[in-house]
Amino acid sequence: MLLIAKAALGLCGVLAMATAYTFHEGVIRIDVDENISDGSHVHFWLPATVVSTGMHLAPRHNLRDASLQVRPYLPLMRQLSKELPKYPNVVFVDVTGETEHVRVATEHGKLCIDATEPDKVVHVTIPLQTIRDVADNLEAASPGV
Amino acid sequence: MNSNRGLLTFVASLALSTVVILPSTARAQNTPKPASTTASASTKDQWIHVRVEDRNNKGETVRVNVPIDMAVKVLPAINKDQLHNGKIHIDDAHLQDVDLRAILDAVRSSKDGEYVTVQSNENNVRVAKSAGYLYIHVTDNSSHHKSSAKDSKDSKESVKSSTDTKVEIKVPMKVVDALLSSGKDELDIVAGLRALAGDGDTELVSVKDQENTVRVWIDSKNLAD
Repeated sequence: MLLIAKAALGLCGVLAMATAYTFHEGVIRIDVDENISDGSHVHFWLPATVVSTGMHLAPRHNLRDASLQVRPYLPLMRQLSKELPKYPNVVFVDVTGETEHVRVATEHGKLCIDATEPDKVVHVTIPLQTIRDVADNLEAASPGV
Repeated sequence: MNSNRGLLTFVASLALSTVVILPSTARAQNTPKPASTTASASTKDQWIHVRVEDRNNKGETVRVNVPIDMAVKVLPAINKDQLHNGKIHIDDAHLQDVDLRAILDAVRSSKDGEYVTVQSNENNVRVAKSAGYLYIHVTDNSSHHKSSAKDSKDSKESVKSSTDTKVEIKVPMKVVDALLSSGKDELDIVAGLRALAGDGDTELVSVKDQENTVRVWIDSKNLAD
């Protein structure tokens, strides 16, 4: 009985650690709602650690192909990933129309992009650290960019 | 004794998970405060703001707030069309047969004074250079005169006509110097931004007409007022 209790405690500890590690970089959140008939509703939550860890585990050639495709944008991505963390709570762009609203901001160290139209709502939230990790990994996979 | 060991295991697990969490918490605490809370007006903290507001009560607005320091570092990374390495290439130094570089160079090397003054019933134009700034003021009175002629007694119309188009542009000359500092056929936007940042709080562009107001200015706040 005591052995089971100890095992349960150990398991709880491991679970706590795993949970803490998984979420310590934050969560990538993508919400897309099309408010029309047969419109799609996508609600996507993913721990940011999965992306940065996944890039280490991804096949090298796939990563190289991806980095070649984004090569023209890598310098921009690299600079943005370095600069954005210096401005953790800032509204960079806010456009309000009669029925539309677009907002690009950083909130608590995350890049938030919101676009609202009468029939479509898009919210994207990405931790800035994840953008930097992705930029670093893509850069490492495509040296000389 | 065994139960104590179980407790110790649990506490140790908790401590380990805390250690994993702590770095991100500490990082969050160490992140710099928003610029709105730091009102220092150092070059590094200067922001360029653009605000467009609809005057027809539709609530349409555009607000752009960009730290100049970030723009200076990010712009060279954008290589698209005429923009390369933070510099805009001007085809043969001509824009629709206007030699922009030559005009800027001429303005830069000229003495202070009123260059252009046009006063007519429809428009007032003033281009002047004074105390290190180039001023361009344009006021379009055309609708004012039309409405005055139609109904000069109607006070409401008079109030409306007071919102005729008015453009005010103020350019620090050292920004012009910086723009021209790169090679021939190029305008160095990054150098221009650096010069702007060093100029302190400045209202650069103000446009008011019956439909919109447009403002472009520089200050040390990260939010438009």
